[in-house]
Amino acid sequence: MTSLIEPIQSNNSLGDDGILFVRNDSIFDTMVKTPLLVASMIIVAALLPIQSSFSSPRDLDLIIYPDGTTHISTEIDIDPFLNDYELNLFGSTIDNLVVIGDNEFLLDVDIIDNSALIQTFGSSVITIEYDIHDLVSKQGKLWTFSLDSPSNFTLLLPQNSAIVGMTNLPINMEIINDQNQLTLSSGKTEIDYFFSTNIISNSIENTNQEDYSVSAMIGGITVIVLVSIVIIVRNKQKNVKSIQKDTTIGYKNNVLDIETIFKLKPDLREDDKELVKFIFDNNGEVLESELRKKFLQPRTTMWRAVKRLEREGVIEIEKKDLQNLVKLRKNMEDLT
Amino acid sequence: MKKLALFVIIVLIFGTVSPSLVNHAYGQNDPSILLRIAVQADKQIVNQLNKIYGDQIPNNIQILYDKGHTAVKSLDESLSNNDVDKAKQDFLLTMNSFMQISRIISQSSEKVVVVTVSEKSNRNLSNQLDRLEKYVKTLESISKRHYEIDQNKDEFTKAYSLIKEIRKQITVSENSSQNIIELKSLVNSIKNEIRNSISEKQSNAIKDFFEKFLVQIDQKLIEAKDLGRDKNEITKADELILEIRELLSKNQINSAKIVYSELKIVLKNIGISVKIT
Repeated sequence: MTSLIEPIQSNNSLGDDGILFVRNDSIFDTMVKTPLLVASMIIVAALLPIQSSFSSPRDLDLIIYPDGTTHISTEIDIDPFLNDYELNLFGSTIDNLVVIGDNEFLLDVDIIDNSALIQTFGSSVITIEYDIHDLVSKQGKLWTFSLDSPSNFTLLLPQNSAIVGMTNLPINMEIINDQNQLTLSSGKTEIDYFFSTNIISNSIENTNQEDYSVSAMIGGITVIVLVSIVIIVRNKQKNVKSIQKDTTIGYKNNVLDIETIFKLKPDLREDDKELVKFIFDNNGEVLESELRKKFLQPRTTMWRAVKRLEREGVIEIEKKDLQNLVKLRKNMEDLT
Repeated sequence: MKKLALFVIIVLIFGTVSPSLVNHAYGQNDPSILLRIAVQADKQIVNQLNKIYGDQIPNNIQILYDKGHTAVKSLDESLSNNDVDKAKQDFLLTMNSFMQISRIISQSSEKVVVVTVSEKSNRNLSNQLDRLEKYVKTLESISKRHYEIDQNKDEFTKAYSLIKEIRKQITVSENSSQNIIELKSLVNSIKNEIRNSISEKQSNAIKDFFEKFLVQIDQKLIEAKDLGRDKNEITKADELILEIRELLSKNQINSAKIVYSELKIVLKNIGISVKIT
């Protein structure tokens, strides 16, 4: 039996001169100069991050106070060849505005309606902090936060607030000192919240509230099993503990005493010393996010502090699971 | 070679497109956060409904609540089945239903006036003081960065003692408006003092910036002449550069900035772009 329809790939009569059926690689051969295409793609790929990086917030952190006023802190990459930079302030009722440029200079700002004209001269990164009263409104007991953000942002809600409505999906949520911190994507966001004295536990609770007696029985059995395991394991742990103790002593000997660190680095700022103490007390390494939680600092402020300590040679930064792991340097004496 | 080139193209296309994909990874760290928020909202809505209506919940609200509550259950199921897309839909449906309920409740439960916190009378004094304290700390930190010996130490000490006093006044419900005015005025004067005291350093930084920049422009203008670009514009640019240098030598930084704006337009007309290296 002969096949009436032959696949195009196997049709030898359509050679390189064929017009209708041209293979992909022939397109590159005849129509486009491949090296040219590659070169242009490389240029486009190289320019894309530069184009998108200027004038876009690196970080945008918002903290809502219980009275609805919002503290904004943001860090923006800007073109160092601009005289000034116009920033949208998200509203017109602004207080306590501070704009800091490169070299920690306080920059001059003119506020015109909803925007701030910042004299950036030569700065490539600017840090802006201010309080704004336009982002939250209140109707009865219901508070509504609304923002049209140019970038992803974090939002720390007030203590004892309970979210009862929101218009978009959160990227993440953390609990910081009993306050919900949401990470949200760019674009329009509306969040409704109430204040409640009867605030709900933050743990993930099961929506099915079924038979408690079954849970109690399972719990009881689990406890008995756990107790048995603990007794068995404890004996083994005695040996392990002694090893761990040795390791800890080893660590402290290796990293330097906290007082010695401060003696080697007498110019450290008081707030930086607090960070160093905290890292030291945590066996010499913590995640940057843990530092933010502990010291309640916006992402940008903590980032600057960590970078400062890195410059001083007190710490080193490693990447761990896409997060910054901040570690005390072990060979700090070599730097002095 | 062709295969290698194709591979490079694919990698580049993916590299260009991939950042936009990251934005869609909602709840990527822990999708259960969606359930956590939805369950909290559900319980809060039940509390509010019990407080306001008891057993007599209006029909329209009951329908909305059932819709939201069912979506919470569905969200739980979707997450158990690892169906993230369905979970997102359920979450949005839940929060939308509860949002509608909370808005109906807040409109009907009291004589309601929509209030924005931009009205000063609505701001909480204690919160206002917290914000002022944060502002003072930011200024203090800037001041310390520029001086080894803290130049504004006395002012900051005074500011902190005022904050302490105002806190006491708030606790005993005493009128603190006078002290708040004094604190605000003190903070403004600290800010101005910092600005004035670092202006010299700042001017030097701007001068350095201009110096590097103008040297490169001089070079570019010579090249432009060789290429036969518009002579009038090139002469104009030369004059503006001279003017900027003169203003900088007289320490008139703001005027130099204004002339620099003009220079940028002229350079654009000539077709010159300069980047500091």
